[in-house]
Amino acid sequence: MSSHRLFRFPKPAWLNSATTRTAGVYLAGALFSLGAFFFIDAATYSHSNLNASLFHITFIDWIPLICSSLGMLVINSIEKTRLSADSFSYSGSGVAWKARLVLFLGFALMAGGLAGSVTVMVLKYLVRDENEGEGANFMTLWLGIANVVANALVMLSSIVLWVSQNMEDDYTYNLAL
Amino acid sequence: MAAGLKTIIALSFVLAIGFLLVILSSALFHNYLPLLVVATYVIAPLPNWICGRCANPDDFMENTGNAVMDFGRFCTGFLVVMGIALPALLAHCQLIQVPAMVMSIIGGLLVYGTIISFTMFFQEEQDF
Repeated sequence: MSSHRLFRFPKPAWLNSATTRTAGVYLAGALFSLGAFFFIDAATYSHSNLNASLFHITFIDWIPLICSSLGMLVINSIEKTRLSADSFSYSGSGVAWKARLVLFLGFALMAGGLAGSVTVMVLKYLVRDENEGEGANFMTLWLGIANVVANALVMLSSIVLWVSQNMEDDYTYNLAL
Repeated sequence: MAAGLKTIIALSFVLAIGFLLVILSSALFHNYLPLLVVATYVIAPLPNWICGRCANPDDFMENTGNAVMDFGRFCTGFLVVMGIALPALLAHCQLIQVPAMVMSIIGGLLVYGTIISFTMFFQEEQDF
């Protein structure tokens, strides 16, 4: 296995242990929770007494987070070993093609969520019309920033989950041989 | 196991302190929202237990068992951070006071630590 290495530095041994993998999954859950609560905090804040402005979190603000979470669900429900299935002769019938298509949909949903959150922040909180009064101050801008932070954290959580699930494949591979 | 009765007494003491802190954090300010923290931390180890029962981690042919266990771990991580994030959220929106937030976070962590260490002791006893 080591002769097929591409880079000069070897992968550290702790990256393949089952403990790191478990910790990665826990970390992914923690990051997802952090992201979700950043946004729920913004939503609660916008409907509490503290919010004196006219800005409120509506369903439009929720759409990017829903997209990101759906994308995360899609990406991480795919069986990773199916992605290279067509290279084996016994598992044809285009499984890898389907898996890649679904994976692409998942990535598109997730990237769309992140881009959508930036769009909502810019269009709703940064850019104001002349006749709609003054623009957002920091605490109302926070409603938009929290949206972006939440989506970025969901994306990070998905990356951590993906990496730790790929770790598992190497781990089982080492055990199987 | 050497640590038998003393461990149980110490753990129940810590559990009582944790519950005391959380109940004080709600009762002192006449605002019972921090009790949600206790509910969160009591639920937190449940996905791990349930999915651990459902899964068969030694099965290398099928990865479904591992996926179920991963889902349980994901949910547990989610709930643990939720137990910290929820009081912070409530305090940020001034639904509870900041001292209530601090007390409920510390109390919740004590309760959760008790549950986790209790599970660990039980598992060690099962191994014998």
